[in-house]
Amino acid sequence: MSELSEQEIRRIAEQAIEQLGEDASPQAVEKVVKETVHRIERQANDPNIKRETETKNVAHTKKQSNNRIIVTAFGKNQKGILAGLTGTLAKHSCDIIDLSQKILQEFFTIMLLVDIAQCTIDFEELKDSLIEAGKKFDLKVVIQHEEIFNIMHRV
Amino acid sequence: MPIALEEILETIRMTEVEHFDIRTVTMGINLRDCSSDDLSRLKRNIYDKVMRMAAEHVASARKIESEYGMSIANKRISVTPLSIVADGYHTDDFIDIATVLDQAADELGVDFLGGFSALVQKGYSLGEYNLIQAIPETLASTKHICSSVNVATTLAGINMDAVRLMGHVIKKTAERTADKDAIGCAKLVVFANVPEDNPFIAGAFHGVSEPDVVINVGISGPGVVLRAVQESPDDLDMANLSDRIRRMAFKITRAGEFIGKKVAQMQNLPFGIVDISLAPTPIPGDSVADILKAIGLEDVGAAGTTAALALLNDAVKRGGMMASSHVGGMSGAFIPVSEDAGMIEAAERGHISIEKLEAMTSVCSVGLDMIAVPGKTKATTLAGIIADECAIGISNNKTTAVRIIPVPGKDVGNTVDYGGLLGSAPIMSVSQLDNSLFINRGGRFPAPARGIRN
Repeated sequence: MSELSEQEIRRIAEQAIEQLGEDASPQAVEKVVKETVHRIERQANDPNIKRETETKNVAHTKKQSNNRIIVTAFGKNQKGILAGLTGTLAKHSCDIIDLSQKILQEFFTIMLLVDIAQCTIDFEELKDSLIEAGKKFDLKVVIQHEEIFNIMHRV
Repeated sequence: MPIALEEILETIRMTEVEHFDIRTVTMGINLRDCSSDDLSRLKRNIYDKVMRMAAEHVASARKIESEYGMSIANKRISVTPLSIVADGYHTDDFIDIATVLDQAADELGVDFLGGFSALVQKGYSLGEYNLIQAIPETLASTKHICSSVNVATTLAGINMDAVRLMGHVIKKTAERTADKDAIGCAKLVVFANVPEDNPFIAGAFHGVSEPDVVINVGISGPGVVLRAVQESPDDLDMANLSDRIRRMAFKITRAGEFIGKKVAQMQNLPFGIVDISLAPTPIPGDSVADILKAIGLEDVGAAGTTAALALLNDAVKRGGMMASSHVGGMSGAFIPVSEDAGMIEAAERGHISIEKLEAMTSVCSVGLDMIAVPGKTKATTLAGIIADECAIGISNNKTTAVRIIPVPGKDVGNTVDYGGLLGSAPIMSVSQLDNSLFINRGGRFPAPARGIRN
């Protein structure tokens, strides 16, 4: 395995300082960081342990990030559009929280607010499969985390 | 309050139709700790630090782009002015160091790297002088490196020796890249009152008071502001028009700051500032000139252009300041000629002149930007143009800059085309009256009385 990057070591140091609290003398922090780096590097060389830590990391990041995404689709109205999109979401255990749609003449717009906390695949894969599902109906599909809308439209 | 469908559609319209994007996420890297009196060691230190710090930069930006559906046009790096990091080195050494940085930028996949810079508003050290001499060769032989030289501040006045020197440097840079219509000059800016946290190229560098590593962001949203103005009724008065622009500026600044913070967070780095400049692109509709026209002018250059630009610039600042606690960099409307479809058109029709553009620079950032002039233009004339911009900058306590391209072998009537974000530009006419006596006086132009504020 390649060495840990400076960013990763800094992350470890920051966590060490936080956990040590008042005991965080430079010597103590250095000791903890050294031990941790050593442990991580040893684990990285052992294939069994490596798999375990990787899964843990994924679960950890998922819990921390905002789990709601907004799926917007545009195109000509036709049968099965909604089923196509929601079917893909259901297949990957995504939970639809809210849904609204608008049909202006022939033009169809659909918006889905989706919780992906239980999603079985990662964000990029989900994005690709939704775009793929949209293609069958000539739909343009845009997938974004919900936060960006809150940031732009709420003071 | 849940997000309404209309708000979602507006956001998507902004990014998909109106070309709103994050122009750049720029990582500033301090290189002062790389100094060494051994050249090969210095080069290795610089290369190692840049590669180490920016290892995750492009990948992080790409991930955030995907998650939020917000395109980041450029991923860039700015470094401590090399004249500080490598003070005392020779001209050839500076070219050598730039080559190393260029290689790092290439390997990291960043679009540009700024910081081949010197701050010489009061005078230069030997290293600073050598770096300036190395600019033409550096810009000709590297792909990603951008250079800037600050020659004036409100507090120090104008270093007229440096102004004169920069006239020659620009000429030489043009000649060294003559085969590509002097594209080297597009990567070189001469500043007055340069900001130290600017994420925009070519003037980006990492100031000495900045943290070790920091993420700064620049946005690009003339298209969305244009829509806000176009949707306004013709009888809407100035204050209400300003209000509409302000609301739009708020939204795009919030998005910019958010994306910047996310990219910083992913790399466990501090977030610096968001630069709220409206940066145009040559794509039709993504134009500051079009906004000025929509405000009510037949074309840029009409009487009232400077006032309309002042209104736009102020409204953008108001919205941006509300949206972000850390507004920095240039933060004003950009009026580059070649990078703005509306400006190109106005220049081709002869509606704007350098003199009108100069007046406009007194109310916006940055200055005379991406202007192509005849190749025969004398170095002293270029120096005179720089001196004029510096005078506007120090007298109004604002940033001004000159990025001018004397294209060898071309004259008024010709056009140069650089492609991509740099766009194309018709050669504009410049006063050929002699000013050599004025420029050759040299020395230090006294700081304006308004600089003494305490």
